[in-house]
Amino acid sequence: MSQPKIAVDLILKKLAETTEQVKTRAQKASEVLLGPLETDLSTTPYEVVYEEDRIKLKYYRPTEIKQKYPLLVVYALINRETMLDLQPGRSVVQTFLDNGIEVYMIDWGYPTRKDQYLTIDDHVDGYMDNVVDFIRDKHNLPKINLMGICMGGAFSVMYSALYPEKIKNLVTTVTPTNFDTDKGLLHIWMKQTDAYLMGNSYGNMPGDLMNLGFLLLNPARLILDKYVGFFENMDNKAFVENFVRMEKWIFDSPDVPAATFQQFITDCYKKNLLIQSKMELSGRRVELKNITMPILNFYGEYDHLVPPQACELLTQKVGAEDTEDICLKTGHIGIYVSSSCQKEFAPKIVKWLREREGEVRPGTKEQATFPNSVKDKIGKKTSDASKNKGRKNIELVLSNKRSRKKAKSVSPKK
Amino acid sequence: MDQNQKEETGMESLFAAWAKSVTNFWGDMTNMQFGGTAKPSDTSEKSRKDPIYQAQKNWETGTKVLQLLLSASGKPENINDVLKGMHSLPEFMMKMVQQSWDGYLELQKQWAEKAERIGQHTEAYNFEDIDQNIFKSWREIYEKEFQKILNIPQLGLTRFQQERMNQFVDKYNVFYASLNEFIYMFYVPIEKSSAVMQEKIEEMAEQGEIHDNLKDYYNMWIKILEGHYMTLLKSPEYTQVMDKTVDSLVQYRKAKDEVMYDILQQFPVPTNKDMDELYKDLYLLKKKVRELSKTVKT
Repeated sequence: MSQPKIAVDLILKKLAETTEQVKTRAQKASEVLLGPLETDLSTTPYEVVYEEDRIKLKYYRPTEIKQKYPLLVVYALINRETMLDLQPGRSVVQTFLDNGIEVYMIDWGYPTRKDQYLTIDDHVDGYMDNVVDFIRDKHNLPKINLMGICMGGAFSVMYSALYPEKIKNLVTTVTPTNFDTDKGLLHIWMKQTDAYLMGNSYGNMPGDLMNLGFLLLNPARLILDKYVGFFENMDNKAFVENFVRMEKWIFDSPDVPAATFQQFITDCYKKNLLIQSKMELSGRRVELKNITMPILNFYGEYDHLVPPQACELLTQKVGAEDTEDICLKTGHIGIYVSSSCQKEFAPKIVKWLREREGEVRPGTKEQATFPNSVKDKIGKKTSDASKNKGRKNIELVLSNKRSRKKAKSVSPKK
Repeated sequence: MDQNQKEETGMESLFAAWAKSVTNFWGDMTNMQFGGTAKPSDTSEKSRKDPIYQAQKNWETGTKVLQLLLSASGKPENINDVLKGMHSLPEFMMKMVQQSWDGYLELQKQWAEKAERIGQHTEAYNFEDIDQNIFKSWREIYEKEFQKILNIPQLGLTRFQQERMNQFVDKYNVFYASLNEFIYMFYVPIEKSSAVMQEKIEEMAEQGEIHDNLKDYYNMWIKILEGHYMTLLKSPEYTQVMDKTVDSLVQYRKAKDEVMYDILQQFPVPTNKDMDELYKDLYLLKKKVRELSKTVKT
């Protein structure tokens, strides 16, 4: 019988070391946690320029305006738009401002019981349309740029199909449009959910209940491992500050108006009407072929909430010829907050919009304002890509053959 | 006369004696005078308006009715019928107790079987053998034995309120049973991961590959746990239990709200139901105004 060869002395030594480390960490952590912490979100200054019911329109003005067309950002009704301005150095909004883009962002506010009857029609054909008209009037422009995030992206797609004459360029990020997929637990679960029963019982769909559902998508990591990670790093002030900011953002979850929730689950998750151009808002068909403006479509390869399969079909269904799919090697939130994506995501949008304003032609040396380190990286990547045609780039991946084909027609028809 | 007849005759005489003594007792109680009150024979107007006098009269009437019932049931011709009714009551009670006891024993048997299985070999990432029988049994027992009682039609003026209260109790029980099943399901991957981890450590120990860093074991465990959860969450069994839990939660909330509305109606405050109607009107009005404004603008 073989004897197990266990180095007990080594294990005990390591255990003693770990205990000592934990003790030291706990002492330092108490200093960090009891000291002043910078955990504010959304610190970039803005002005509220329009209000209607519970919604507010935030206006971020750059120091120097370099682009003619302002950008309207439409966030989802789940969680809050503060994620785009999480902290200095990790702010999508700040990157836009640094590049001279005027940014408008809809703050959907916190729906109360009184808002339970508001449908997607009211959000898209009502609030969004009023906001777009307000910006067009203010800038005396026939069109503006529109960027949608997640559910806000789906709203932006619907809006662009209903009012293509008001939108110059459309940017969709982690936007679900094809719900007929079994990739991603949310798609599996939502097909079973009785949205009407939930909505009728709660008035609005409680944000906390939805958050619980999101946590249950990966309980080992999101309920357990995440906090183990926190305890291991709680002596690191910067880590604690970032962690608390994310916690603040994640659990700042407004309720979703019952009628909107019911309509989204039924029309999108269960019937998959949007991608088939069969959805109707305010009695009008949401015809995707009406979307003829250029589209830039971002999604995350490891997104467990909105998987690539839910996003990549859009560019094939719209009427636009100038479309581009970009699949980043990240998850649902990582696109906006991870350090690597910070360097790719927002600068790419800036560059793409600028190219379609006529200021910078694609292929010229002039670029959007990138940090120096990123400039080198992107420049290198572009040249690598040209050298290795058809080979997948390490970080920036075009999602599939179809999108690569589409990506050939990136140059706007001017 | 056989043994049964003898027993019945004994029971009849015993019951007759008991009925007589109780009738006499209540007879004495009827004559009991309430302190400081006028005698019932005093029929003057003033005496009749005295509340204590009225209470005395009510007492007398009540006890007389009871006396009548008792003396009637003590009569030989009625004793048999009364005894039959009395026989059926313990039978009914016995049946209920027995059924509940059987249910309890069945549950206990399953707990014992489950305990027996602990420590047996665990197959990683396999959730086909989740032991949900215990919850199934509880649900069956509850539906067969208790739910029916809560669904007995209510009578009288407060029948609707009583019915809503019973529904609330019923939905509460169903919800908590479903929630327990849901929580149990979430516990299964932890149990399985620990068992798999134990087997892994044993294997590693046999091969002399024991790590000295505890974090390595944690990383290994969390990876196994994550894998187990991923398998579980995609399984139809989980989806079914989740749906059932959500559905029972919603039903429970609805039943609770109905009871709450009954209570709140006694207070000068609007209920959610009242406010929802108002909000709907407000929503429709606003919508109409917006449409009209747009029409006017264009």
